[in-house]
Amino acid sequence: MARQPSPTRPAAPSSRSQLLVALLVLLALAPLPGLGLGIYWQGVVIMSLYYALLASNWNLLSGYTGLFSLAPAAFGMLGAYVSALLWTYAAVPPLIGIPAGMMVCALVGVLVGFLTLRLTGPYFALTTLALAEILRIVALNSFAITNGENGLRVPTIFDAQSSYYYLFLFLVASMLIGLHWLLGQPCGYYLRAIRNDETGAQAKGVRTVFWKVFAFSVSAGLSGFAGAVVGHYLAVVSPSMGHLMITGLIISMVVLGGMGTLLGPVVGALLINVTSEFLRAAGDLQHIVFPMLVILFARFCKEGVVGRAAMLLRPWMLRRSEGLAKLREARAS
Amino acid sequence: MFASMLVNGIITGAFYALMALGLTMIFGVLRIVNFAHGEFYMIGGFVYVLLYHNVGLSIPFALPAAVVVGGLLGWLVDKLLMGPIYTDARSMRQGRDEYAIIVTFALSLFLVALMTKLVGPWSLQGPRLADGRPIAIAGVRVSPHQIIALAVTVAFLLASMLLLNHSLWGRQIRAVAQNRFAAAIVGIDVRRVSMLVFAAAGALAALAGAMLSNMISPAPDVGAFPAIKSYVIIVLGGLGSPVGAILGGLLLGIIENLGAFYVSFAYRDTYGLVLLVLVLLLRPNGLFGEIRREV
Repeated sequence: MARQPSPTRPAAPSSRSQLLVALLVLLALAPLPGLGLGIYWQGVVIMSLYYALLASNWNLLSGYTGLFSLAPAAFGMLGAYVSALLWTYAAVPPLIGIPAGMMVCALVGVLVGFLTLRLTGPYFALTTLALAEILRIVALNSFAITNGENGLRVPTIFDAQSSYYYLFLFLVASMLIGLHWLLGQPCGYYLRAIRNDETGAQAKGVRTVFWKVFAFSVSAGLSGFAGAVVGHYLAVVSPSMGHLMITGLIISMVVLGGMGTLLGPVVGALLINVTSEFLRAAGDLQHIVFPMLVILFARFCKEGVVGRAAMLLRPWMLRRSEGLAKLREARAS
Repeated sequence: MFASMLVNGIITGAFYALMALGLTMIFGVLRIVNFAHGEFYMIGGFVYVLLYHNVGLSIPFALPAAVVVGGLLGWLVDKLLMGPIYTDARSMRQGRDEYAIIVTFALSLFLVALMTKLVGPWSLQGPRLADGRPIAIAGVRVSPHQIIALAVTVAFLLASMLLLNHSLWGRQIRAVAQNRFAAAIVGIDVRRVSMLVFAAAGALAALAGAMLSNMISPAPDVGAFPAIKSYVIIVLGGLGSPVGAILGGLLLGIIENLGAFYVSFAYRDTYGLVLLVLVLLLRPNGLFGEIRREV
């Protein structure tokens, strides 16, 4: 266990270089529809980007604040349902329905956060799990309102699939830039302080409960937003969006990619969603393979792919920064 | 009608108690929540039904076999996966919680997917423990199956409580739950106690799964709801309190059955959440929980 980074010193290089790599990855994806990426694979990438949004949100909670919500997929579903219900029963257009979905999720986040985050212990994980399953059951059983398993039909925002492709690229990019900005603000430091040592943070005067509720409601709101948008892409909103399997996939993306790294969830989402396509062809193996990998990673490679790569790159980065310092010295003299 | 709802509630509640007891003992000893608890229940149900239908074992053999498999599974989970919780040098609360949540949640999804692959996504109904017409006792109709199931459940609950309170192993478990370091100092093998608790929890959950297989047919994803209910119950009863788990289980069973009749049947699974919210709001330590501070 000695090889593992200590929790107080993240192994990852500064999140700015991670942000740059992530933006480069997204930039590399951008010309693909023009280069002849088929409709099917465009859809795969769009769903990967949707999961990248959810995974980045979840990472803000787990990787940076140390809170383990088991409801990321359920919040996506809730956001999608708010927009879908508003459209079905009040003919509210998606452009208003999507922000409404985000607000409802953020509000639920505040309420659940207020209930559970005052307490230490497993209350938060337990309550979010119960909430996730019960939201799904309510959506499934309220047949008269939600049409049950068949889901609600909703209008699309764009006609062309490639428009959604660029929309999601834009959303992921702006989310990463936003997260990078947030983590550089005082509140970003508060969140990481809470993860590393909650009592210590409290002793230093950080309002831990407030910031934990803040992180949860931001994460819930953004998940709801992503879910509402993807609902209008899929044109149908069904309870299966909130299944625990989806939450499992999101956790796999973050754990395999690298918890507490900006780049990890994006890499994990693309990696897992694309691999899923092949594993599905090989006989629906993805739900067996990924949980197994998560257990192995949690046991032996806690820092994930990105964290491990950063550790391997660290000597080189150090040498580079030493070299730069020497260069600066030489210039100064 | 009220009386029969009450009796049904007690019967359901006894099964909940069976699951919640194991879960709360695991929390007491390891200070973690086992998110794969519902899968112990599911696998218990499957082993029982498959042994009965496909192998042709009779009930008195299939039932104990399911319990043994559940116990072995619990023991294996502790042996293979819970190691870092003890040996990790930085076994601070944060690292442990993180590891436990991720690993047990992933294990739960893994077992569901594995069972789907092995036996298919369908549900298989289990046999009745006894045939015969429902008997009316004081105006309440109960089937012989229900009576036997309740008797076995109550016997197991009583035996668990007796062992926990009066045997050497039970005293060791309670000692570790009270203070792990002090228990280790006086020579209790903490690692073995945790394996014992995990095995017992697995066995109790598997028993619940097998006994309920006639009423709720086992399917790979059948474990989610009993598990979520036992999470509600252990919070309601107070984390780590065995008495709280049993009484909390009975209470939830009764509330659900009364609510299903008087409020709404389709939403009976959601009453647990309402109860959970109330407990967290009014009495976060649960009905029988003690306020503990960790240094």
